[in-house]
Amino acid sequence: MDRSDTFDIEFTLNGETVVATVPARRLLIHFLRDDLDLTGPKIGCDTGHCGACTVLYDGRTIKSCMMLAVQADGATIETVEALASDGEMTPVQEAFHEHHALQCGYCTAGMVMSATYLLEKNPSPTPDEIREGLRGNLCRCTGYVNIVEAVAAAAGKETSE
Amino acid sequence: MILAPVEYCRPDTIDEAIEALNSSPDARALAGGQSLINVLKMRAAAVDLLVDITRLEELKGIVRHDDGSLEIGAGVTYAELAESDLLAGDPRAIAQVAADTVDPQVRHRGTIGGNVCHADPINNFPPLMVALGATMHVLGPDGAARDVSAEEFFTGFFTTAVEEGELLKSITIPALSDGASVGYVDLEIGEAAARAVAVVRTEDDQIAEARLVIGCLPIPTRRPEVEQALVGTPVTEEAVAEATAGAAEGVEPLSDADATAEYRKAVIPVVAKRAVLAAAKGGHRG
Repeated sequence: MDRSDTFDIEFTLNGETVVATVPARRLLIHFLRDDLDLTGPKIGCDTGHCGACTVLYDGRTIKSCMMLAVQADGATIETVEALASDGEMTPVQEAFHEHHALQCGYCTAGMVMSATYLLEKNPSPTPDEIREGLRGNLCRCTGYVNIVEAVAAAAGKETSE
Repeated sequence: MILAPVEYCRPDTIDEAIEALNSSPDARALAGGQSLINVLKMRAAAVDLLVDITRLEELKGIVRHDDGSLEIGAGVTYAELAESDLLAGDPRAIAQVAADTVDPQVRHRGTIGGNVCHADPINNFPPLMVALGATMHVLGPDGAARDVSAEEFFTGFFTTAVEEGELLKSITIPALSDGASVGYVDLEIGEAAARAVAVVRTEDDQIAEARLVIGCLPIPTRRPEVEQALVGTPVTEEAVAEATAGAAEGVEPLSDADATAEYRKAVIPVVAKRAVLAAAKGGHRG
């Protein structure tokens, strides 16, 4: 069993294989933003409360400020950059746009990841279920009303498609 | 925040993990990391080796034994507890408390083992484990294994019976006695100002058996005098309030940013009453 302060890791990031050498102490969020230039996930509180750094780790939302980069080894990670393809937004992104579900936008990448995960698990959530699904994502501008409306609208779009 | 330099290893077996934990007095097991990563950010603990136990299959299972008891691996996440079919039966409180833990992202990573071993006074599982009469299975070097009752497991503020070089493997929760239910109530001011867990069995609208544990304390604390006073009490708000009036006697809550010790002492009897009533009415959390 290797024990070291530096590790070689290999994982799938937004559909592509990434091979890198990371210090054991590097947080996943710092690795994504500073080493790989994926600045969609944000550092808000840096204490695991605000959810601005939310990404999908093996298909489930996690806060990337609460994990080490070395723990990405062998995993599949998706950031907000994985959502739109060829300039086409996903229904959740479109709904956030249409319902003005953001003001400063700092929480949006994390909100969108949590909303996307929620709708995957529960395609027709009630407003309460939407709020519960977004409990790990804080927004200090909107008061959440438009965010909840956007997620409900995205759910409607996805089920009618 | 940037962590202090640290070494890391990811063992494939429990034996390797215990060997790594014994290679340095400052080695620490890294489970879901939902508390430990923050501790490392704050540089509040000297850690020179992180032993990543998140991928140890041996810590992952939930098993229902023939005697009705449940054995839960220390590495089972809150999300896995909340979603497990095995926990749909009694005690449902485990799945309900897991489903209500912090938020989805934390539930995807955080584990029951990490929750009890971190032993933050505000953590939600320690008082539940004591109320359910759980047994903790702890492994040590050279194949050592010992069982510790939940009542003896929590030894103080952020401190448990798990010694340096040991690892919590799993937790066994005995079947509830027939007709018993769990009431779990906390007062959410900040993280939690006060919490009580009751296990109650009623007969003919009277309490026949009761176990009461107060949480949000440095050590989750059973209240045997109150438990005795509850036996024979009719299930009415007045009678239960009278029996639980002394729930805060002898306990010493902390003062912190969420609540003063004085306030906590004042509200402990309230959450104790609510937990007992919820349990007596068939189990409920609120």
